[in-house]
Amino acid sequence: MATDEFIIWSFMGCSGAEAVLNLQPDSLIAIAYHPHFGSHDDLMLLEVDEKLLPDVLQQRVTLRGQPDEGAVLCTRSKTYAIKFVGTSNSSFLIPPSDQFAPSQNSLVCDSKVYDLQQLAPVIKVAPGNMELNEVSPRLDKLKLLLSENPYRTEEVLEMDDWDMGKSKTGLYTWDDLVERVQASNDELRAGLRALSAVEIDGYWRIVEEKYMDMILRMLLHNSVLNDWSLHALNEDEVVRVLASDGFPQKLALHCLDVYGSKMDGDVCTSYVWKLDGRKVCVHFGREILREGKRKMENFMVEWLKKIPDGIQASFDMLEGEVLTEKLGVETWVRAFSVSSLPLTPAERFSILFRERPKWEWKDLHPYIRDLKVPGLSSEALLLKYTRRTQPSLDAEPVFSAR
Amino acid sequence: MQIQVKCSCGAESCPEWAIVELQGAVEVQPSFQDRLQNLVIGELCRPSSQENYTFTVGYHELTGSKVTLKKPLLVLKKLKSMDLDQGSENGPAEVELDVIGIIRHKILFKTRPRALISKPQPTVK
Ligand SMILES: [Zn+2]
Repeated sequence: MATDEFIIWSFMGCSGAEAVLNLQPDSLIAIAYHPHFGSHDDLMLLEVDEKLLPDVLQQRVTLRGQPDEGAVLCTRSKTYAIKFVGTSNSSFLIPPSDQFAPSQNSLVCDSKVYDLQQLAPVIKVAPGNMELNEVSPRLDKLKLLLSENPYRTEEVLEMDDWDMGKSKTGLYTWDDLVERVQASNDELRAGLRALSAVEIDGYWRIVEEKYMDMILRMLLHNSVLNDWSLHALNEDEVVRVLASDGFPQKLALHCLDVYGSKMDGDVCTSYVWKLDGRKVCVHFGREILREGKRKMENFMVEWLKKIPDGIQASFDMLEGEVLTEKLGVETWVRAFSVSSLPLTPAERFSILFRERPKWEWKDLHPYIRDLKVPGLSSEALLLKYTRRTQPSLDAEPVFSAR
Repeated sequence: MQIQVKCSCGAESCPEWAIVELQGAVEVQPSFQDRLQNLVIGELCRPSSQENYTFTVGYHELTGSKVTLKKPLLVLKKLKSMDLDQGSENGPAEVELDVIGIIRHKILFKTRPRALISKPQPTVK
């Protein structure tokens, strides 16, 4: 279409969006280019679900991402990918009368002068708008960042001598992580917890397994010496004794947190912790398999020897941590931990099927149950990434790569 | 990098903006192409008490209606705050997004234009 009749008009006291939206029956309004009409690239449209609106308007959302990543929008608990959707329509954007008020000197000068109350100015033609889609937080990057400089045994010793001279490379504060990881605060916190990370001197760290092993064995050793119950460990006492053995208080507490759970109790005195049998058993299983695979019988003997009194070990505690395989008549066990696998489904399944071309459900399940994709059920996820075959009606289904 | 989204008008009083949308592009006579400012595009008319509208552009008329958006659109304005101690780092200036408006309705014209009179016409796209 073409405009044929040109009218240059005045914006003095003109109206805007409200006049368009409240146009009365049997009346009309002129739509015109604003005196400041232009591309206004600093103005963007974001489509937002009604449910998200309060969060956005009350300053509870942020955009996160490095320049080389597509930006995401984070609420307190969720992460949304932002996608620009273009339109070929002409979408005339009209602000309310009190925004972008034109200056006084843009004056009338042509044939037909509109009543000032009947003009609505268009500030820009919107080329499209941004859409939000809920996505999983990008937590693989968190693991990558924290793996750069894990807390090591040597660091405890170095700390005394050269506290200030320590290299800060590969160390990240909470704020650093928020700047770098595309996840909401809640998701980031859950991610740190899943990685068993701990804040030491303001930096979030993962602790080398060798060090965790040392401190856990020291804790168990002390519990024998001091006759502590593994079901009721007194926090103050544990931390004091471990500190006298040279373990920083923060790490002693971290040990309780990683291998135990805090009991409800009298906050006035001291917290009481209960060691989690499964976590302790998994730890020792991993320790044994760190050097490579073992014959099942040998593994079991060695493993059970390491388990402290008062804790019951059973092989199924190791699901998601080890794989067994038959070689000839022997059954072998080796480490294959779900926590070492990527969190993005495509990469996860690709590694799983490289590991084993065919999986039975009971073996596969521990390695995929933590995968969560917004808007995709676990069945849909399986359907998308696996091929399910059932050799016979009463046989267990088998999953292979799609 | 983190960009804070805020609404400096105060959530409840964030003003409503409007969109008038039509198919295709509006073509302006070449002599006006680089000075669109102040030019009238057309006349929006509501002929009855129903939410039906006509939009007259030159000698063409479009018919359309007011639609409520399934999801509202927020009008964001990018604000760059000046970093005072510029000597510190050569990182990018702090950016904020201000929600300066919310769009819940648009007047949508889905039809092709209808000629009002049959005298020599300007180009129709
Ligand atoms: Zn606002």
